[in-house]
Formats: sequence, structure tokens, C-alpha cells
Amino acid sequence: MFEAPPEVSPMNEPRDIITADDLRSRRILIIDDEEANVLLLKTLLEREGYSDLLCHTNPGEALEAFVQHEPHLVLLDLMMPDIDGYQLLEAFRRQTRPGAFRPVLVLTADTNIGARRRALALGAKDFVSKPFDIVEVALRIANLLETQILYERLMSRP
Amino acid sequence: MSLTAWMRPLRLPFAMTRAWANQPLAIKGLVVVALPLAVLIGALSSLYLASQAEAQAEDDVRLAFAIQRDIYQVHALLAEAASGVRGYLLTEQERFLTPYYKAEAELPNTLTRLDESIVDAEVRARFNKVMALTGRKRDGLSGLLEIADAAGSSAEDQRAIIAALEANKLVLDDLRTEIDQIQVLETALLESRRARVDEVRQGYLALTAISAAVGLLGSLAAVYLFSTGIVRRVQMLEANAERLAQGEPLEPLPEDRDEVGRLAIRLERASALLRAREQALRDGEERFRLVVEGVQDYGIFALDPQGHVASWNAGAERIKGWRAEEVMGEHFSQFYPEETRSFLPQAILERASLVGAAEDEGWRLRKDGARFWANVVVTALFNEAGELRGFAKVTRDMTERKRSEEALRVAREEAIAASLAKSEFLSRTSHELRTPMSAILGFAQVLELDQGDLAERHRIAIDQILKSGRHLLSLIDDLLDISSIEAGGAEINGEEINLVELVREADQLAAAIFAPTALAFEVDLPDEAVNVIGDRRRINQVLLNILSNAAKYNREGKIVRLTCTVAGPTARIEVMDDGPGIAQADVPRLFTPFDRLGLQRVKGLEGTGLGLALSKRLIESMGGEIGFRNRTVPDRGAVFWFTLPLAPRSHV
Repeated sequence: MFEAPPEVSPMNEPRDIITADDLRSRRILIIDDEEANVLLLKTLLEREGYSDLLCHTNPGEALEAFVQHEPHLVLLDLMMPDIDGYQLLEAFRRQTRPGAFRPVLVLTADTNIGARRRALALGAKDFVSKPFDIVEVALRIANLLETQILYERLMSRP
Repeated sequence: MSLTAWMRPLRLPFAMTRAWANQPLAIKGLVVVALPLAVLIGALSSLYLASQAEAQAEDDVRLAFAIQRDIYQVHALLAEAASGVRGYLLTEQERFLTPYYKAEAELPNTLTRLDESIVDAEVRARFNKVMALTGRKRDGLSGLLEIADAAGSSAEDQRAIIAALEANKLVLDDLRTEIDQIQVLETALLESRRARVDEVRQGYLALTAISAAVGLLGSLAAVYLFSTGIVRRVQMLEANAERLAQGEPLEPLPEDRDEVGRLAIRLERASALLRAREQALRDGEERFRLVVEGVQDYGIFALDPQGHVASWNAGAERIKGWRAEEVMGEHFSQFYPEETRSFLPQAILERASLVGAAEDEGWRLRKDGARFWANVVVTALFNEAGELRGFAKVTRDMTERKRSEEALRVAREEAIAASLAKSEFLSRTSHELRTPMSAILGFAQVLELDQGDLAERHRIAIDQILKSGRHLLSLIDDLLDISSIEAGGAEINGEEINLVELVREADQLAAAIFAPTALAFEVDLPDEAVNVIGDRRRINQVLLNILSNAAKYNREGKIVRLTCTVAGPTARIEVMDDGPGIAQADVPRLFTPFDRLGLQRVKGLEGTGLGLALSKRLIESMGGEIGFRNRTVPDRGAVFWFTLPLAPRSHV
């Protein structure tokens, strides 16, 4: 499943319109009830050079952070006590300003095809099963942020 | 009854009554009409005969008178003729002779008439004397006349004349005497005839009176006979017909042979037949009733059109608790519990009378108020005219079945819940195992990415963490897969898949499998599509498992070959190699979980030991089969194969 680690990093490739700094300045909200997983993602992203990271193990607080800090990307776990990922996905959709684009990447240990479909149907932009290949996840995050930046630029054009 | 009693004193002797009664009605009618008529005719003819006899007697009287008159006339004629002759003798004048000539002219006719008229023998004898005396007288007179004409006035002549005269006178006296005698005889005869006429008249009058009396009596007798012979019997017959209609036994009637009698006999037979049929019907009903009443397992009872209980059997008593005498006439809605009583009974009767029968299943009440689950069939009963006569209701106590159904349902629900719980548990287990694995593998990967900063021994450690972690993850995946298939919770689709296309698409993955080995991989596929029913992802999984096994274990061989064929209703994939094959003793253990036939210690061999076990379960859950055989001809080698059901329209 995981073959030899490729020596590829999203930051290594030159980008024409979007610079590495553009990506690294984005605000990312990490939500997982497992401390270890939050830490893993935080470590991975910090290693990639991201600095504006909001980490939450409590879904309620995470929702507050989403509303308050308007992150550019959300990394979301599905199975959580009290408020699960699906409920948060719905809440995010309601709390997103019209015209705003705040992609959600779902990371879950639930391999059920139903979970995948449901999350995507509720507005998740991508879906990765745990355990994941950290390189792949880093690449998907970068891709989503690129789209997000392009969208924002498109919307802010006169 | 009263009529018979009234009639009894008037009964005729038995034999006579019987003989009369046996006559056909036509004869009886004829007798009744003819009897007075015959009496009338008899009376009339006796009257006629009386008048005839009277007329005859009167004729006889008239004849007697005529004879008397003629006798007098003969005497008168002779007397006048004698005086005339005497006158002539004295005077010799011719004119005194006129009476004599008249007598000579008339006497023969009168005498002839008398001769014809006289019938009485005595009178006839006298008459014959008269005839002789008359002849002598006439001869005497004619002799006198001759003497007178021949003699003169001589004395002798005178004396001769006187002598002749005296002789004549004597004849005339004799004649007179004879005539007187006849007269006397005839008068006596007349008297006797008159007496006879009276006698005959009296006789016939008496006869007429008797006839009238007999006629009257005959008519009365006819009326009586008519009454006894017909009217009374018809009345009795009518009374019997009424008894027949009422179903009462018939009064026995004499078995007369006329129409009424035969009618009575037929009525008797009809009554007997009716009784026999009634008996048969009663017997049949009795048997039927006994059968119905004896049935214990079914409550069978009848309702009138309004729903009141009209019959009740042992089964109904057993099931519902009411005895027949307690429940007869009660409305059947009381068998229904409160919540359905107001509408359900009526609805069932309406449905039954509309479509003939209605079935229902639901709670009913026993007498003690306990509920039982009943299966009820209500059948509407119609008579021949199509009018609703009532309902037959068959009730079965289904409480036990209901309970067992309930138990079965609960068990099934529990099983489903258990299965769901198991699936849920497996899903949770998967999640719970994967979550820490995610952190372990993730952080190991982070370290691996930063290996330049690490010492060699740390790099080896990280490599081992990753390797063992991934193996553990595979184990977890396969184990959960098998478990979820066994729990019935695995997601296995049943779509139509072209197997040829699927194998071609897997070719690239297969190439990656065989790339690190020295084996050649050959594929032999049919040109046309082979459509099977199955799950694309699962078939792929099985295929890659078998191919990777071939790659792993065929270290001595040169080639791995895949073929796809169609046989009957199935498609068959075979993967064969030219390796050493598998010891026949080990073959039965091939598809057992974790049994790696002792090969796990072979250096460099990876795997969970679950691949074939999982493949077997996957193929079987798709309705196929999986198996293995060793190849001996032309070369040695192992053959793994599996089959899948063809899609319906792909069948040849």
C-alpha cells in the first residue's frame, strides 16, 4: 500500500502563480478527538512550513474556531463523541459566507464506503482513509489550498 | 272427526258400503243420476199401462152394450115381422107385410155383426140357438105366407093357418126366452167387465203411488250414497292433505278402489315418502350436527343475519369459554375486545354478505375476559332465493401460533440486531484499531522522511516499525474483511461485469506483481465478452491474491498463465504455474486462515495467511466456487481456479 517514500514535496515544485509562501500563509483548522492524530497532522504541516494552524480535539470549540477564524482549509475527523464530523460538515456549510470557499478534507479510520459517500455528499472536498500516507495527505492539502487561493482570487477580481 | 262421528249411525252394512265405495266415480255419478230417473220412468210407464188397460176394459163394455142392442133388435124385428104377417093374414092387405120385409132385409146383417162380436162361449151357445130359432121363425113366417097365398077361405085352410100361427108363436116365445137368456148373460158379462176396469184402474194407481214413493226414496238414497261415497271421503281426504301440509300423521282411510280411494292411497304413499325423506334428512342433519358439535379444535357456530348466535359447538365452548345455553341469542360482538367491538363485527358481516366470505385475524375475548389470537372465517349463508339467512363462523385459536410467531419474530429481530451489533462492533473495531495505527505509521513516516538526521540503527528501527505496522494493518484489514463477510455485513455488489475486461484492466497491477520476479505472465482470454454477476472490487481482490501467491511461491518456475473459459452457467478463471505444486496432504488446509503450510519461515515471504481464506469467502458470497489442483501432465505445477455465475442473458 505504501511503497518507497518518494522524494517529492509540494514545496519543491515551482509554482507559477501561487508561491510556496502563498500556501504556507493559509490558515488550517485541524479537528480530531485523538490527540496523537492532531499532533501527527500538526507535525506534518509544520514540517511542510505551514504556520497558521488551529488545532482542536473538541468539536464544539472547533466549530467556534471555524466561525471566528474563518480557516482556509479544514482537516476533519469523522468519528468523534458528542458532535461528529457529519454534524460539523453541516454546520460549516451553514456558517460559510456566500461566495466563500472553505474546503474540508475528511480524514477518517472509517473505511466504510457509506461514510465516504455521506461525507462527500455533505460538502467534504476530499476524503482520505486512516492510516494514511503522509506525503499523499500533504499533496492533497496543497492541492486544495491552491484551489482555494485561485477561487479567492477569482472572486476578488474587479 | 265430527263429520265422521255424525255419519257413523247412518253407515250402511259394510259389504255394501265397500262394494259401493269400490265403484268408480263415473259409475257412482251415473247411479246417482240414473236412479231417480229410472224411478220416474217406471212411474210414467205404469200410468200409461193403467190408461191402456182402462181403455181396453171400456171397449169391452161398449161391445157388450152393442151386443145387447143387436139382440134386442133381432127380437124386435122378428116380433114386428110376426105381427105384420098376422095382420096380413087377417086383412090380406100387403101393407101389413112391410115389417116382415124389413126384418128379412136387416136380420142377416145384424146376425153377422153379432156373430163377429160375441166372444163369450156361453153367450155363443145361446146365440147359436137364437140363430136356429130365428131361422125357424123366418121359415115359419114365409110358410104362413105361402099357405095364405095358396088357401082360400076353406075351413081346412083356416085350421092350417091357425096351426101355423100357433107354431110360429111358440118359436117366437122360445126365441124370446133365448134372447132374454143372452140378455141376462151379457148383463152379467158387462158387470164383470166393469168390475175389472175398476180393478185395473185401482191397481195402476197403487203402482204409481208406489213408484213415486220408491223414486223419492231412491233419490234420497242416491244423495246419501253420494255423500258417503264422495263428499265425506273428499272431506276426509282434504283433512288428510291438511295434515300432510302440517307434517302431522295421516288419519287412516279405507283403501277403496275408486279415484278418491286411489287418491287417498297416493296421499298415504306421499306421506310415507315424505316421512322417509324427512327421516333421512333428519339423520343426515343429526350426523352433521354431531360432527360439527364434536369438533374440538375449531369453534364452529352460526349467526342469524343480525349477528346473534344461533348454534354453538364444543370447539367454540372450548375456545371461548361460554357454554351454548349461555351464549345462544347473544350478539357475537361481545367476543371482540373493547377497542374493535364498535366497528369490526359489523364490518366483517358486511364484507361476508357482500363477497360471500370474510377472513380476519385478531384478538378476541374469552368468557373470563382473557384474550386469545383468533383466525376467523365468516361465511354468509343464502337460501335458494338469494336471501341472507345468516352466517357460519369458524374460529381457530391461534394464540400458540401467534406466540411462536412472536417468539420467532423477536428471535429474528434479535439475530438481526446481533448481526448489526456485530457489524457495528467490527466497524468500531476497525476504526479503533486504525486510529492508533494511523498515529504509529504516520509518525514513523515522519521520522523516515527525516532519516538524514538519524543514526543508522534508528533508521533500521523506523524501517521495522513501518514494516510491522503495515503488516499489522494488512492483518487487521483481512481479518475484519473475513469477519464482516461471515457476519453478513460485507458490502458485496451483484452487478454485471465483463470478466475479460476486468482481467485486462488488472493486467497492469499483475505486471507490477511479476516485475520483481523472473516469471513470465501470460493471459489467454476469449475474444467475446464473458459477463458474470459479482463485485468488481472483490473479484479484483481475489484475482490479485491468487496472482501474488503465484509470484511469491513459484520460485523455481518460469511462467504463470491465466485462462478464462465458460462452462455451463459459470465462467471459470484458472491461474497455473510450472512450480513444484503443493503436497497433496496440504491441499485441504489451503483455504484455512493463518495456515501458511509452514512456509512463513521461508525468507522474504510476506503475507497475512488470510488471503486464500478471504478469497474463498468472497467467491462463495458471490455464488461461485474456488479450488486448487496439482498439475501433472504435461508439466507439474499448481492450478488455482475460481468460478462465477454468468449473467442470465450470457447463458448459451
